Amino acid sequence: MAEGAQSARPLSPHLQIWGWTVTMAASIFHRATGVALYAGAALLASWLFAAASGPEAFAFVSDILASPIGIFALFGFTWALLFHMMNGLRHFLWDRGLGLAPKTATRTAWLVFIASLSLTAVIFWVGLNMRGGA
Amino acid sequence: MANKGTSTFIIQRLSAMAVLPLVIWFLISLVFHAGDSYEETVSWLSNPAAAIPLGLLVIAGAIHMRIGIMEVIEDYIHSGLKTVLLALNWLFALTVAATALWSIYQLAFAG
Ligand code: HEM
Repeated sequence: MAEGAQSARPLSPHLQIWGWTVTMAASIFHRATGVALYAGAALLASWLFAAASGPEAFAFVSDILASPIGIFALFGFTWALLFHMMNGLRHFLWDRGLGLAPKTATRTAWLVFIASLSLTAVIFWVGLNMRGGA
Repeated sequence: MANKGTSTFIIQRLSAMAVLPLVIWFLISLVFHAGDSYEETVSWLSNPAAAIPLGLLVIAGAIHMRIGIMEVIEDYIHSGLKTVLLALNWLFALTVAATALWSIYQLAFAG
């Protein structure tokens, strides 16, 4: 193929494809995290119920939550909550007609993924240290 | 969003806006209370400064999640099963809210 013919083509279709992917991913994730948090609400109610039921019930639930699987689940719920909350902000902006341009939507989608994961990591780092130090 | 779309949409957004600051408060509180003993947890939750926002979070959250899952059900289920699932969705949201609120009440007055 000739050089000229090639350079006339769009140079970086990858960017567009990625943009579509990340905004789609954010949209799907919003729904998935909403469904996950629905289950998380039952966990919150169970935890409160255990606390209200007395020391034995509370110890039982605390032990599960402090186990490696429990910590992993809590990490997942925290990330789901932060992602859903931050992506919810994108919805609020869209409702006002803001941030709808594809480029902006792509940027904010990346931002929400990265910020929610980072913040979850920080929360667990601080939380686990708190627990250790207490 | 089906027939009563507009009011459902508004309640969905309003409940989300109410939940937002309460979730931020709850997450920060949880970090500070990580590893609390039973006694510490009870004394934290029985304080009105925790019990009241937590109760509000439960109520606004239950409303928001009930509508959210209703929309998910309406998007995917078009058979007669839909009515059953929508009823179960109500039941789940009410059970979660009632259990959590009863527990908060117990903690506030028995703790
Ligand atoms: C933290 C603050 C929150 C904000 C700002 C928020 C925001 C939103 C918004 C704007 C929507 C509508 C999305 C759309 O129209 O497609 C939504 C949907 C939803 N939310 Fe939340 N939400 C929050 C917390 C929660 C919590 C705690 C739960 C569950 C207990 C939850 C469950 C859902 C569900 C199931 C949906 C439906 C998802 C869908 O239709 O794809 N949300 N949320």
